[in-house]
Amino acid sequence: MVEIQKYLHNVDLSIYYKDQNSCVAKYGLPREVKFCKKCVISNQRPNSAIEHKHTKNSLKETIFFDEEGVCEACLFAEKKHTQIDWQGRERALVALCDRFRSRNDSYDCLVPGSGGKDSFYAAHVLKNKYGMHPLTVTWAPHIYTDWGWKNHQAWIHAGFDNYLLTPNGQVHRLLTRLAVDNLLHPFQPFIFGQKFLAPKMAALFNIPLVFYGEHEAEYGNSIFETEKAERDWAYFSNSSDEKVFLGGTSVADLKHKFGLVQQDLLPYLPIDPTDLKAKNIEVHYLGYYLKWHPQSCYYYAVEHGSFQASPERTAGTYSKYNSIDDRIDDFHYYTTGIKFGIGRATYDAAQEIRSRDITREEGVALVKKYDHEFPERFANEIFAYLSLPVKEFPIASKQFESPTMDREYFLKLCDKFRSPHLWYNEGGNWHLRHAVWHENQA
Amino acid sequence: MRKLRIIPRLDIKGHNLIKGVHLEGLRILGDPSAFSRRYYEEGADELLYIDSVASLYERNNILGVVEKVANEVFVPLTVGGGIRSVEDARAALRSGADKIAINTAAVRNPNLIKQVAETFGNQCVVASIEAKCVSSAKWEAYIDNGREKTGLDVMEWAQQLERLGAGEVLITSVDNEGTQKGFDISLIKEISEAVSIPIIASGGMGSLHHLVELVQKTEVDAVAIAHVLHCDKNSLENIYTVLNDLGIETRR
Repeated sequence: MVEIQKYLHNVDLSIYYKDQNSCVAKYGLPREVKFCKKCVISNQRPNSAIEHKHTKNSLKETIFFDEEGVCEACLFAEKKHTQIDWQGRERALVALCDRFRSRNDSYDCLVPGSGGKDSFYAAHVLKNKYGMHPLTVTWAPHIYTDWGWKNHQAWIHAGFDNYLLTPNGQVHRLLTRLAVDNLLHPFQPFIFGQKFLAPKMAALFNIPLVFYGEHEAEYGNSIFETEKAERDWAYFSNSSDEKVFLGGTSVADLKHKFGLVQQDLLPYLPIDPTDLKAKNIEVHYLGYYLKWHPQSCYYYAVEHGSFQASPERTAGTYSKYNSIDDRIDDFHYYTTGIKFGIGRATYDAAQEIRSRDITREEGVALVKKYDHEFPERFANEIFAYLSLPVKEFPIASKQFESPTMDREYFLKLCDKFRSPHLWYNEGGNWHLRHAVWHENQA
Repeated sequence: MRKLRIIPRLDIKGHNLIKGVHLEGLRILGDPSAFSRRYYEEGADELLYIDSVASLYERNNILGVVEKVANEVFVPLTVGGGIRSVEDARAALRSGADKIAINTAAVRNPNLIKQVAETFGNQCVVASIEAKCVSSAKWEAYIDNGREKTGLDVMEWAQQLERLGAGEVLITSVDNEGTQKGFDISLIKEISEAVSIPIIASGGMGSLHHLVELVQKTEVDAVAIAHVLHCDKNSLENIYTVLNDLGIETRR
């Protein structure tokens, strides 16, 4: 029997007092909160993990800080600006392309993406500068924004074939709801497709080479990962479905308790590594070979296509050019703010500081101004998306205390996921115990 | 008869000249004073100095940059960004500004336009509007460097600003800004008809054709140019020559 989580009661505020001596840290996060001396990220940032093993009990590995208090992403950025021989890396890219370039009118590489600035740049530069013949594949966002859809079309019109896989809306909604209730992670179902679709499509079409954009490590995973051009297969392959969890729920439970069948799960399951080996598929990071600069990708996509920034800043941040195609994205970053104290403005500002587009002082001001803003603009639409009416979900809806997701339920759910070492409650309002702008108030 | 004014636009962040696309992804270009000296020497009619992120960062530090440039160039200087009070305007004028551009603060407190106009004269007040197309022939005013909606209709807002005492309108198309795809002609045409004060058109110029088209199709009084000049795609010298050859009157 699946245990139904009870959320419709208030959290016990006694562990969230302002003057608490010892506070519990959830998710295996470091008890002591520190902010990087060079950017604005905190030591609470979880590394990119293997999402199909993510359960309620998973503990996070977090970004490494050196003895000077500088985060690993900044250490890598420094290396990127000063040490890496980018000309040598580009020669290696040319050699790789020479090895795979098609001579018989077939696709020779596969570029997954949304048609946002980064995938636009990747596909376009591979085709037009390095003479490759890319096929592009897209895993649809939960709910397209108007501008995200236009940018996807603009990408195709810049000269690419594209396969768009849009998952079954009912299955996707159910998995998203499970990911929210179990993990407060509304973006997780998207991540499955983002990681799995490209290798599977490469196998289907016998395309031997897959290019992702920049390394996870540019944002904080172990710097050792950046020494390798190829992506770790653990991110996208698994030999047994029995060990796969979607929305924090085992495949067996999804079938027996939530009414799904194997075919419903196909897009969400990682590829069997023996298939990859049999077809000799290599998965590389283009960011290993070319110095990745998100702002330059934006300029490139505007210049070489009809890429448009979003018409308004994204909720919780100041930016208009990155991660703008999915209406659920606002909630992704709102929930990272709840769980780890890190909102969208922190992620955006940290990247722009490392890229030398803004100063740390500016970054701190932006975090103070925008981080943790409630994403009102699409809220009602997202709550409806996360609701599971009996008529559409006759079996699954029985497994939820409240199949309807409304604002009250969502906010109470959020409170359950707040770590007491990050948040305190005073007079009914939540406050961060530690924020990067506090250091200026001393 | 209109005599077109050509105004290099310098967006400033901290101590740097910057440039974005749709006012986003701000790229650092260098020391603004070197750029403005060049434009002065090449015969710019005026200069526009906008600390476009002053409201975003809630700071106000353009005046140091303005003081320096005012000592080096001797054409009318319009300064904007972070002017939130009559006192801020006074400080900017003391630093060497001839005119004050106001956007965000005017949206928050429209009366500020009136106060500054009454204190220093209408000629001193440039109402700055960041316009984003929301549907056919409909534009919404934005603040915080094209980041925040206001719900204000651009044409109605421009008329209100004129009534409050603004002497000019600087209209920036957020859709076209930085794209080098040409001006938003229908926006400029419509706003020129909506108000009787002079209009400075900004956003989108990528070539001389765009400028000629703008002048031929609208009643615009002045044009603000950034990318084409900053990236050395054209010179003021050449722009004046071509316009004069076409019989378009300028101040030269």
